[in-house]
Amino acid sequence: MRALLILTMAGGSVAHATLTPLVTIAGVTPDVPLIMVVLLALRRGPEFGAFTGFVTGLMQDLASGGLIGVQALTKSVIGFGIGVAGGRLRVSQPLVQVPGLVVLTIAEGLARFALLQIFRFPAPFGELMTYVVLPQALCNGFIGAAFVLTLAWAQTLRDHFEGSRP
Amino acid sequence: MKIRKVVLLGSLVAACLVLLTLQTRGYGETARDVFAVVATPIQTGLAKASRATFGLWTTYLDWKNVRAENRRLREEVQELRVRALRVSETDDENRRLRRLLALQENLPLTTLSGEIIAREWGGWIRSLTVNRGRGDNVPRLTAVISPNGLIGRVVDVRPGVSIVQVLTDPTSTVGAHVLRTRTPGIVEGDPRGTLRFKFMARDGASIQTGDMLVTAGQGGLFPRGIPIGTVRSIDNRGAALFHYAELTPAVDFARVDEVLLVTGDSQRDLTAFFPTGG
Repeated sequence: MRALLILTMAGGSVAHATLTPLVTIAGVTPDVPLIMVVLLALRRGPEFGAFTGFVTGLMQDLASGGLIGVQALTKSVIGFGIGVAGGRLRVSQPLVQVPGLVVLTIAEGLARFALLQIFRFPAPFGELMTYVVLPQALCNGFIGAAFVLTLAWAQTLRDHFEGSRP
Repeated sequence: MKIRKVVLLGSLVAACLVLLTLQTRGYGETARDVFAVVATPIQTGLAKASRATFGLWTTYLDWKNVRAENRRLREEVQELRVRALRVSETDDENRRLRRLLALQENLPLTTLSGEIIAREWGGWIRSLTVNRGRGDNVPRLTAVISPNGLIGRVVDVRPGVSIVQVLTDPTSTVGAHVLRTRTPGIVEGDPRGTLRFKFMARDGASIQTGDMLVTAGQGGLFPRGIPIGTVRSIDNRGAALFHYAELTPAVDFARVDEVLLVTGDSQRDLTAFFPTGG
């Protein structure tokens, strides 16, 4: 089950690069793999979160043509961190999810920027934050909340049907 | 347990850092090439699928747009048709009024133009109401004509309007003669709404279908030479004293909208001012 999930995430990350036009909202592309890593880390813990983040980030790096390892590192750290914090936070409320994902996306953006600086790939900080990271953070926040609510709804339905069985 | 987690994260971070370091030293190409071999078919397939989906969606949107455009164009066509009808109607009215004006200017008579504002077409009475009445000094029994011929006579003058007895009214009679042969007779209306010409049998042989009948001008009521109608059929009853001819009226009474009321008197033959087919 875990291997299948990781494989799906890897495939999804590759698909994300190809299907970007489909998921672009008003010129902003949400980082769907990041949202998935966060959700999986919350449900399955830090190890799974870190590994999924690594695989997902690696696939995104490879597909995007950037430095291989940047997103793998940032996403694995985020997956681990969320997995650790998941047990101590109340994350079932959209009021927590939206700002949470916004903060995480900004943190991931900052980490990526730092790594690029370390490995001598200069990028303009102000413009990156204004035109890429912040809009994407907001987008991730809302899409992530929608995902969580859908999952919660599906879980309720499942429980309802399982409870009604003789 | 905690150590295991930290070791895992550390390994992943280390792997990433190694990857990044190797790339900065020029060893990143092989990894990219391997990825390309694996990922390219998947990405190609996905791109095709997404393009097909987009294509379907675009086709659907186009179809929707075409439908909306079709509806808009239909409405536009309807609007243009109505406008064309209005233009055609105005054009038609313009032509009729020009003809009426030309007749009014050419006739050696004093006339007054009027507009039909109502029609009584029940069968018992066939009349038209013209928007000229007592205020316009319209005398009773005034002849009413159109550019095509005689319509009837004013039988009632009221404030603002006059009632015109149409030739096809069952009680209408007009002295007439055949333009070609000068055969005299009387044109009468009948309850079916047609006209018939009553003439002496001895002259009957010379009347033919298609002959034009005009007013005789006797009695001073109607000026001489105004077209009444053309002979459609002749009812030959052998030895009877009077014969009848069915007429097609020169004027389409149901469609006439503008008329001239002949308020003056003239002894001249007016045949030349009307279309008589000759």
